[in-house]
Formats: sequence, structure tokens, C-alpha cells
Amino acid sequence: MTRIVVFLLALLAAFPVLVAETRAAETLSEGQVLRGAFVQERFLKGFQAPLKSEGRFALAPGRGLIWRTETPFAVTTVMSPAGLVQEVKGNETMRLPAARLPFMSKLYTMLGGALTGDWKALEDMFAVERGGGADAWTLHLTPRRADDPTMPIRAIDVRGGRFVDEVEIVKPDGDRDRLTFRDQVLKAEPPTADEAALLASAGRP
Amino acid sequence: MRRLGALLWLALVLLASGYLALRLHDGLGFRTDLLALLPREEQDPVLQRANDAVTKALGRRVLALVGHADRETARKAAATLGDALLATGQVERIGEGIDVDRLKRLGALYFPHRQSLLSDGDRALLTAGKGEEVATRALSQAFGFAGLVDAGLLRNDPFLLLPSFLTNLPFPLSRLTPDEGMLSVTENGTTWVLVSAVLAGEPFELDLQDRLVGAFDAAVRDMPGVTVKRLGAVFFAHAGSKTAITEASTLGTLSLVGTILLVGLAFRRPGPLLHNLLALGVGMTVGLSGSLLLFGELHVAALLFGSSLIGVAVDYSLHYSASLFDPLSGSPSDRLRHVLPGIALGLVTTLIGYAALMLAPFPGLRQIAAFSIIGLVGAFLTVVLWLPSLDRARRLTHGALMLRAAAGLWSFWEERRWRGVRLVLVLGCALAGAVGLARLSADDDVRRLQAVSAELRHEQDEIQRLIGATTAAQFLLVQAADDEAALRRQEDLAATLAGLKAKGSIAGYQMPAAFVPSARTQRENRALVATALDAPLLAAQRASLGLPPADPNDKGPNSKAPEGVLTLGDALASDSVPFLRELVLGPGLHVVALQGLSDPDAVRAAVAGTAGVRLVNPTADFSALLAKYRHRALLLTGLAGLLMLPVLMWRYGWRGGLWALLPPGAALVLAPAVVGLMGQDFTFFHAMALVLILSIGVDYAVFCAESGVEQQPVTMLAVWLATLTTLLSFGLLAFSAVPAVHSFGVTMLVGISIAFLFAPLAARGTRHNEATNNARLR
Repeated sequence: MTRIVVFLLALLAAFPVLVAETRAAETLSEGQVLRGAFVQERFLKGFQAPLKSEGRFALAPGRGLIWRTETPFAVTTVMSPAGLVQEVKGNETMRLPAARLPFMSKLYTMLGGALTGDWKALEDMFAVERGGGADAWTLHLTPRRADDPTMPIRAIDVRGGRFVDEVEIVKPDGDRDRLTFRDQVLKAEPPTADEAALLASAGRP
Repeated sequence: MRRLGALLWLALVLLASGYLALRLHDGLGFRTDLLALLPREEQDPVLQRANDAVTKALGRRVLALVGHADRETARKAAATLGDALLATGQVERIGEGIDVDRLKRLGALYFPHRQSLLSDGDRALLTAGKGEEVATRALSQAFGFAGLVDAGLLRNDPFLLLPSFLTNLPFPLSRLTPDEGMLSVTENGTTWVLVSAVLAGEPFELDLQDRLVGAFDAAVRDMPGVTVKRLGAVFFAHAGSKTAITEASTLGTLSLVGTILLVGLAFRRPGPLLHNLLALGVGMTVGLSGSLLLFGELHVAALLFGSSLIGVAVDYSLHYSASLFDPLSGSPSDRLRHVLPGIALGLVTTLIGYAALMLAPFPGLRQIAAFSIIGLVGAFLTVVLWLPSLDRARRLTHGALMLRAAAGLWSFWEERRWRGVRLVLVLGCALAGAVGLARLSADDDVRRLQAVSAELRHEQDEIQRLIGATTAAQFLLVQAADDEAALRRQEDLAATLAGLKAKGSIAGYQMPAAFVPSARTQRENRALVATALDAPLLAAQRASLGLPPADPNDKGPNSKAPEGVLTLGDALASDSVPFLRELVLGPGLHVVALQGLSDPDAVRAAVAGTAGVRLVNPTADFSALLAKYRHRALLLTGLAGLLMLPVLMWRYGWRGGLWALLPPGAALVLAPAVVGLMGQDFTFFHAMALVLILSIGVDYAVFCAESGVEQQPVTMLAVWLATLTTLLSFGLLAFSAVPAVHSFGVTMLVGISIAFLFAPLAARGTRHNEATNNARLR
């Protein structure tokens, strides 16, 4: 589970950098906040329809990610360098302090690396195929160690333009998660007080 | 007649040598655990079995933390270390509980019973009627950002009860987190990766220790920059046995060389030295092979004490050889006839002392006693049967000065001019004895008896801090008629334990019922899930998840077997639940392991009222046993003295017998008193030394009592030599780093010196000396 978090976060963080590679446009840096809306669809075998959730996210480099699911019901997940916390209607349903996540440091290496255009950490684990043009590019990521039984991902496809528009993660058993992003806005401002409080809450032990 | 005896003895000695050579050829294994010297607890076999099983499981565990600033380096080093340990073949498995295969089996074991298994938190929520919270949590996991929910699981367990149960299983090592198949913890920028192993054999096997610790050290040497901390009985045992073996060889060599020098200097010719070495060698050979034949194996401590036998075994041959100085001595046979009563009586009384040792049900002490008895008899027979035939020496004339000096002690006790000093000495001894005995206190803590490496202890503390509390040696033993009853008992105990945890008396606990609830609880859980979750919420949950409505005829997989519950037997057979095997000792006999036990008394008090549950503290139990046997050793000493008395009285009359027993008696009182004056606590090992002081002290007294006035200088020379050799062997043990051995050595050093000092007094009451004594005193 946490591994998914790692990759999603790494990818999310990498959005502007991907853009930078192809278009030499803005890169995400500290002091900025990227906000937007998302649709997450999980295609699970045996389910009539995908599990679909929608909401908004805010990514503040160096501070963390807030992932607010609004429909079908409100779940807030906050990830910061200090840990991860999930809340449903104000009730905490999950808390993982960074001290219990030894790979947190690795995650932030990847995250930080991706933010500054260093793909090494990600490419260590995945083979990256690039495609498309500057305004509509694609990435296809496959694990380098496909035979690893602990690797929960078969492939990741990313499609984007100025920002990342869509990420699809395929799991070994064929289940898929698809994330679609829209209305993304990059602002050079600190997180709002509300956001700052949420980010701080993930740091409590 | 003697010729026949000598030949028979030769045959027997050759046989013993042959057997010993055979055993040495096969490779002798020595036991090194101090606890093996202790008696098996006789009263409660159930408790003993539990003690053994838990102590064994704990003792076989090896933990190491491999730390480096770089996570990958630490992980690689940990993997290398694990491989190195496995390659020794001394390790059963590496990494209890975290391999993927085992987790899969764990899932397979629990999955069919998912509606009977509830985490404590879920059970509380459902009992409180808060089923929605459970349902919402499942939905948040399914829809939420961090959710990695297996589709198959969600279909079959839409409330995700099983993942909740699994993540709440009480695994120890609380601060560690699984990270790509390895347990690790990060602190101050250092990643520590756990390497855990279970030994294939006992941590006290020397061979295993050498190979495992050797491989461990070699692997660590090849990892520059990586910090490794270790924890495990095998490391402590290895350090301990290394000390013991080094000591045994150093002290043994010192004692042997010292004895050879002493005898060589005293007699100034090789004959007596060779005779002594022969008696000693034969004694050691028959003693060693005899006890190997009796016990099959020997404890390293028996070897350590046994090698000190040197000092006693040479007494007889020294006494025989010293008669070379006797101006009245004739042929070797004459000389033997002359000393035979003394050494025979000495042997008999010494054997009585050692036989008292045999009465103590301590396996190691029996080995020492058997070793000593067989060795002493061997040395005695060698002196009596062989030495006169081998002896070609003529009377020695060089020792006039030495003899006069040796006789000085006798003069001190006999001559009038020393009367004032004697009085002062006796009064001083009485005072020291009274003060020392008053200050003497007993301490039976078994932990103080083994030398523990400070560095290892520091590493152990560091590991405990880094990984969270480790499992305590103390545990709760739950006894019931069968497994179901035992599981119920634990569930009834859970509230008490949670209270202890909240108070901080313990950091955590594992009980079989946490992994396999009782059938009663499983049925209750199923009913609870049906009424509080399925009936009101299942349809809505399935709809929210986009699952088709549940088949009204399908009430979950458990409906196929209404009484189908997960049994402890199933769980054990699957071998998928980590540590469970160590918690279930037998039908209805379960262990509740405690982590981070800080207040044993609180735990004992909390479970005091619960039938079939008790706190077991193996260390305290062993200490209590040591106390019991310390008392017994004192009793044995008294008994040995009483048994010697008739023998002595038969020989010297009732008054003479009492005089003969006076020197060793004074030593028995004064040696513990000196221990008290030194500020040491009196332990079982001090007490055991008293048994030997009595046996050896009586030898000296008998030699003196047997001595005619003309032989006094010669006798005193023999006693001097005997004392010095005894001090060289037993007294040297006072310098041991092993507290138990040191205690023994100190007591021997003091006691033997005192027994020697007072030895001439033994002659006072003997009839054939009375006249001359009176004449002198006048």
C-alpha cells in the first residue's frame, strides 16, 4: 500500500519536471503550491463499475501532499516528510509516522530528485520509455525487477501536456488504477492556513 | 601379592587410558552452560517443562542490528550477515516472520475464518453499535489515495475485517517496520536493519559458538563503516566459555608448573618428582575416563575444578616421598608401611567429604565429585601399589635446613615461648570469626555467578532501545484442561494485561489467543458481525463499492460449516503464525510472553487471583534453588564432619578425634568469616568450597596426628608441600574472572591456609603423642 503512495507521490511531484524536459517551462520548487482536481478510478475484477472517487489535491514541495477525496464521501489523506495520516469525517483512520517508514527517506530522495530533474532514483527501479511530442507526451514505466513478488506494479502509463493529465497504474493481477487530473494551477505562494494545519497534523507522532 | 595388585592396576590404568584416547579421538564435547550445573527442579515437571521450553526458545534467538547512514548499504550488509550465518549450518532460519511466503500462508490460514476474527478495536466498535465506523474505514481504504486493496479481498470481505485483524496482531519488536522484506528502524539518519536467526542447536555448545560467532565476526570485519550490534545468549556464552577455557589452561599450567618446581626444589632429584607426576597423571587419566564413562560428557566447570585435583592427588605421593628425609626410614616397603595409615585415613576422610558432594543433586557437582573420587583412589593406588617397586632412591640428607624450617610451625604450637603469641592469634581469630560471621550476608542471584561481558551488555541495551522492548525471560504460564479452556483463560486475562500495559508495567504481550481466539469468542464474533454489521450495513456497503447485491442464500463462507472455527491445531500445523509454536507448550499449557517487563511484582500481583495463571521467573527460580542448595551444602559439610568423626575417634579415641577435627573445623568457621570481612556475599560456591576444605584439612590433621615425635619435621615438610600445591591449584582459582569460580577459590585459599596453620594441634589428643607432648609443655 505504502509503495503505491511512494510512486504516486513521486509521479505527482515529477509532473512539472516532465514538462520541463519537454518544454523547458516552469519547474516546481519550494515556495510554490500546485493545486488541482482529480478523478481516481479503480478497475477491480468482479466489480460492476470502477470504484470512482473525485476530489482536489494540493502539493507543496518540501512540505507534503494533501489528497482530499470529496465524492463518494470525504476522506483526507495527508503525506508529509514526517508521516502519513488519513481522516474520515474528522476521525483518524490511519496514521503512519515517518519513524515507522524507513523508506520515507528513500521516498524523499526520489521526490526531491524528480523535482530537480534527477530521475536516477526513479529510473533505478523502472525502465522509462518516452513518447509523443512537446505538448502531448507519454511515459511508459515498467519495473526493472518484474519477477520480484513484492513489486505490486506491472506498469505505469503517464500522459501529459503542460502538467500531467493522466496516470494509469496496472497491477500484477490486472486490476488498474486510473488518475485523471484537471484544473491544475501552479501558484508561487505558501500553503493556506488550512493546508498548513493539515500538513502539520501528519507530523504528530 | 602387591605384585599381582600392581599388575592388575596397570591393566586397569591401560584400559582407562585406552578409553580416554578413544573418546579424545572422537572429539570430546564439553558443556559450558552454568545452568547445567544446577539440579533439575524436582517438584513441578510442568513448570520445569515450561521453563525449559521458554528458556530454550529465548536462548536460541540471535538478533543483530546492522546500521549505516545509507539504507542500501545497511540492507546489503544485513543480507550478507544473514547469509554468512546461514552458511555456518548452525542456524535454523533467518528472519522469523517476515518472508513473503510465510505471510501468504498466514493469509491463507485466516482467510476462511475472516468473519470469526475481529481485532480488539473492531470488536469494541461493533459491541458499541458503531458498525458504520468500520464500514466507513473500509470505504476510505477502497476509495482513498493510499488504498491498495486487493479486489478479491474486497469482494469477500467488504468491511475489510481481515486486514484490520492482521495489522493488529501483537507481533513483538514494536519499533521495527517492514521495509521491502526486512525489518528496520531509522534513527538520527542511521538505518538499522534487523538480522534475526534461530540457532539449530544449543547456544552453550562450544562448537556451535565457535562457528557461529566466528562467522559473525568475520562477516562484520568485511563491512567497513557498518555498525553491528548483537544480542543473544550465544554471544554471552561464547565470551564466557572463552574466558573459562583460557583460565582453565592458564591456571592449570601455572598450577602444574608451580607444583613441579616446588617438588623439584624440595627433593632435588627427579625420582620423587616423577613419582608425583605418575600418581597425578594416573589420577587424572582414570578420573577423566571414569567420569566420561559414568556421565557420557563433562562440564567445562567440572574440568576446571577437576584440573585442580592436582593439589589433592599429590598429597599422598608427597607424603610418601617426604619420608625419604626420615632418618629412621628403611626400604621403600618400610616407608610405605610407615605412611600408609596416614594416607589411608586421609583418603577415607577425603572420600567422605567428596561423597557428601555426590549427595547434592547438582549434575555438575556430581561430575566433579566423581572425577575427584576416582582420581584420588587412582592416585592412592598408584602410590601404594607402584611407587615402592619403582623407588630406587636412598635416604635424602640435604634437607636439614628445610626440615627445621618446616618444623617451625609445629614448634610454634608446642613451645612455651610462643604462648603469648598463640593466645593473641587464637583470640584474634576468634574476634575476626565473630565479626566476619556477623557481617556475612548471603546472595544467591544466579546472574552474579557468570562473568558477563560489559560490551555485550551495552550492545544488548542499545538493541532493546532501538527495536523497542524485547521479550522478557519471565512469562505467564497458563494451565487449563484443554486448549479451548486455556484460550478462554487468556481472553479473560486480556483486560488485566491491557491495564498493566497502560500502567507501563509491561510494554506488550503475546498470547496464543491473540492469534487464534477461543471457539467461544469466534462464535461471538460471527454473531456480532451478523447483527451489528451484515444485517444493517452489508447491502449499502456492497452498493457503495459497486458490488452486486449479496446472494440472499449465501451468508458468507462460514455458513457452509456452522461450527467451523479456526483451531490452534490448524494454526500450528500451518506453521505460518510467527512465534506461536513457542507459545504453545502442549494441550492446555500456554505461555503468554511479556515484552519490556519493568515491574514483575505488579504483574505477579495482578494475576495472583486468576486460577491457572502464574508468573514464572526462571532466573528467580534458579536463584531460589541456589539458595536451597547453599543451605544443603552447609548441611553436607556438617554431615561430612560428623561422618568423619567416628573414623577419627576409632583411631585416636574420642578426645583425639575431636582434636583431629579441630584444625579443619577452625578453617570451616574462619573461611566464611574472612569472606564476610572482605565484604563479599556468601554464595553457594563459597559453601561448596567448605566441603573441600573439610576433606583436605582433615588430611593434614591426620598426617600430623599419625606422626611420631621423631617424624614431626618430615611430616610437617609433607604437609607444607601438600598445602602449597593445594594453594597452587585451588587458591589460584581466586584469580578467576568467573565470579562463581572466584568465590570458590577465595574460600579455598583462606580455608586451606587456616587448616594448615592449625594442623599441628591435631596431634595434641593422640595417645601415642601424649607423653611427649606433656613433656614438652611442661
